[in-house]
Amino acid sequence: MKLIIERSALLKSLGHVQSVVERRTTIPILSNVRLDAAQGTLSLNATDMDLEIVESALADVGEAGKTTAPAHTLYDIVRKLPDGAQVELAFGGGSQLTLTSGRSRFQLACLPVDDFPALAPGDYPHSFSFAAADLRSLIDRTRFAISTEETRYYLNGIYLHAADSEGVNVLRTVATDGHRLARVELPLPDGAAGMPGIIVPRKAVTEVRKLIDEAEGEISISLSESKIQFAIGDTVLTSKLIDGTFPDYERVIPTGNDKVMETDCKTLSQAVDRVSAISSEKSRSIKLNMEKGTVTLSASSPEHGSAVEEIGASYDASQLEIGFNARYLLDIMQQIEGDAARFTMADAASPTVIRDVSDGSAVYVLMPMRV
Amino acid sequence: MKDAINMTVRILPPKKDAVHMTVRILPPNLINQIAAGEVVERPASVVKELVENALDAGATHIDITMNEGGRSLIVVSDDGAGMDDRSLALAVERYATSKLPDDDLIDIGFFGFRGEALPSIGAVARLKITSRTREGSSAWYVMVAGGRRDGPVPAPHPRGTRVEVRDLFYATPARLKFLKAARTELNHAVDMLNRLAMAHPYVAFTLNADGRTRLSLDAEIGDLFDARLARLGAVVGKDFIPNAVPVDAGRDGFRLTGYAGVPTYNRRNALAQYMFVNGRPVRDRLLHGAVRGAYQDFLASNRHPYLALFLECPPQEVDVNVHPAKAEVRFRDAGKVRGLIVGALKHALSEAGHQASTTVSDAALGAMRPEGARLPQRASNSLFSAAQAGQAPLHSTGPGTGLAESQMNYDGAPTAAVIEGDDEASADFPLGVARAQVHETYIVAQSEDGLVIVDQHAAHERLVYERMKAMLADKGINRQLLLLPEVVELDEAAAQRLVDRAEELAELGLVLEAFGDGAVVVREVPALLGETDVQGLVKDLADEVSDFGEALALKDKLADVCGTMACHSSIRAGRRLGGPEMNALLREMEHTPHAGQCNHGRPTYVTIKMTDIEQLFGRR
Repeated sequence: MKLIIERSALLKSLGHVQSVVERRTTIPILSNVRLDAAQGTLSLNATDMDLEIVESALADVGEAGKTTAPAHTLYDIVRKLPDGAQVELAFGGGSQLTLTSGRSRFQLACLPVDDFPALAPGDYPHSFSFAAADLRSLIDRTRFAISTEETRYYLNGIYLHAADSEGVNVLRTVATDGHRLARVELPLPDGAAGMPGIIVPRKAVTEVRKLIDEAEGEISISLSESKIQFAIGDTVLTSKLIDGTFPDYERVIPTGNDKVMETDCKTLSQAVDRVSAISSEKSRSIKLNMEKGTVTLSASSPEHGSAVEEIGASYDASQLEIGFNARYLLDIMQQIEGDAARFTMADAASPTVIRDVSDGSAVYVLMPMRV
Repeated sequence: MKDAINMTVRILPPKKDAVHMTVRILPPNLINQIAAGEVVERPASVVKELVENALDAGATHIDITMNEGGRSLIVVSDDGAGMDDRSLALAVERYATSKLPDDDLIDIGFFGFRGEALPSIGAVARLKITSRTREGSSAWYVMVAGGRRDGPVPAPHPRGTRVEVRDLFYATPARLKFLKAARTELNHAVDMLNRLAMAHPYVAFTLNADGRTRLSLDAEIGDLFDARLARLGAVVGKDFIPNAVPVDAGRDGFRLTGYAGVPTYNRRNALAQYMFVNGRPVRDRLLHGAVRGAYQDFLASNRHPYLALFLECPPQEVDVNVHPAKAEVRFRDAGKVRGLIVGALKHALSEAGHQASTTVSDAALGAMRPEGARLPQRASNSLFSAAQAGQAPLHSTGPGTGLAESQMNYDGAPTAAVIEGDDEASADFPLGVARAQVHETYIVAQSEDGLVIVDQHAAHERLVYERMKAMLADKGINRQLLLLPEVVELDEAAAQRLVDRAEELAELGLVLEAFGDGAVVVREVPALLGETDVQGLVKDLADEVSDFGEALALKDKLADVCGTMACHSSIRAGRRLGGPEMNALLREMEHTPHAGQCNHGRPTYVTIKMTDIEQLFGRR
């Protein structure tokens, strides 16, 4: 193998693939990136056995060939090379890859390319495509609620499925950690009808999210019962899915809540942030007392004292005092892009529904706290 | 006769002529051998039965001999009441006892009462009992071998009883095979004797094993607490005495006395926990659970305290007739007993909140070596003390000369910040007045009668932890309601046990209710825990409630979170403290309960007495 590639092209591709590679692994070859040079392209491939990424970059290939090299080390070297440099990679079939650039020369230990694990290829019976911005909005507004508690593995990802929302066919993403829930939907793209409900693991979500920022135009998604594949520009990301049943989330989204409060989203978040500064605990608890036309936020701590802030709101129902985890509340407020947020509540011990007044595509459910 | 028990086993395979077998009463000797299976498990149980008999007879001096771990010979002789020839003949009969005078199994005031021990021993060994009463003109002996009795025959013997057991288990070879090495059997007997000896400090015990004295405990004198403490020291080890705090509490006819070790004096296993119910040594899960509960706040879960607790209660409140060897007991009101133990221990420990284990300072002193080759001889000592007397005190840099300045000379060497001319009376403060900070980690304070070294991080961590706990207790625990209530599958009994304690758990922030048979549904969790493994937590709780009768896992978890937070929000080692800061820390330690140890049972400070320091320098 022998090739010459522009430093910036190599850096961009390596940057994508190396983030899939785990820092610590018990299988040495999983620390490596697979390099495959042929016909004017260098293709780079990394995996952690659950998630695989393949990216191709243009290169001047003198001699075709393949090998594997330590991903993080290679990335580190390329990162430190000067901008605009040409990088030459040469592998003569031994155990070392030679990287030359300007007056720098590196010898990297290789592992046999035949040992590199490949995800079993499979059929992807369902495929559809999405505008990058739409996919970003689906992911961003749900992923904050993904559970990190590993015993409930089926909550460690985003549930993606086709649904019927009041007669309109939609594609939905849902995430919950058992304390709060986020549900976002967009019109169903062509080809997604009949897709199974799948749970996309957190790591895949994170990696896809990173790639979306650099992507333009359409992203195509293919999936089967056990795998999902994202094609984003020159990059193909394939992930295994979480094998589990996502809970029946519809059941916990209340429909009969009759106490409605609407307020300016920004004002509320800033007030929550300020008032919760007083509470010393890890679970920053905050109380919202709703009366006609106002919401009074309060928090207290025997150590630091207490805080009260009153904000204007439209509220017509009977007085209600309800406690929340301030962090959870802020997480949700951050997702609301419109000016106003609408809270619908039943009582201090039942789930509260929060929506963006100007955008009906997202629903957030937050369970109160007993303070 | 041989293999009699084995023969009864052999009828197990189905036989064609089984219909012809008739039901019959077993011969008395076989009955005794079967009973012996329960009562006489190993040499230690023989020793226990015989020593308890001696104690019941009012002995003040009991001598035990064991050869080959008790296999070839066990002798227990006492100076108790003794038996006449008629009693002696009856004593070896089954269900014959002098200890149930009113035929009342409820009101039991003696150790033995089942009347099983002597005939059982007689059925499996060669037994010889020689005894003489106070009034008797001569002693008598009776012998039993293989279930057959010889005697009573007159014999020479002083007042008291001597029981000799030879060739234990010769009649039951199967059991003989299961005996462990002589050493192991002897250790079991020693452990048993230790427990009995603790309960009877006024009785002297000796144990002679294969010609060597293994145990020699003199009769203690003084009031019960003093005598007990002395006896405990003799049995558990001398270290126990300075590290033990007395426990004395009572409620509704129950009285708990004894000694509890301070938390900093701990060990890896729970073997040094001795419990007695009405003088009877017991190993009981309920009691151990209560002890764990009481120490939970002070010890890491893999460390265990030393203690000896004596529970006295009306005989009708406790059933000791649960286990043939009476190692387990059953209380009529288990909750009351647990409450009494936990309350009494916590009270005793908070009284001793400032007592760090003396073993700690002893160990520290042991590690100190005088500089130079050897201590000077006493004779030449006066010269040294004269020289020392003339030496300038440590903080003589004089007012005005800044400390920082003088430290510059050391140029990066380990530093000691010295507090200037702070002449507060150290007598008023148990932890003294801060004199210096060394290595930016330890505070050195001068107290009235010595030196106190404080680990600033450990001490402050404990203070923050105690403050946090008080806050939680005061404000209550915030509970996060679950959007997806979690159903935990358990077995039916475990689920029921948890549901029975739902109220107590709710106070700790965990709200659960029954969910059909054998499952509970968790609706609220302590907000402090954040996103937590509810399944694991509830299963741990169920196990603990059944093992110890206490919901420790939840408290542990909350304490863990508090501990971590305390650790992060307390001053670290390496932070330089000024004099007022150090003194403030010392004063707060004096006012905070349980400030003597960190959350893991390590000490937060050690005290070195003036006398110890003088000793180090050979002045005493």
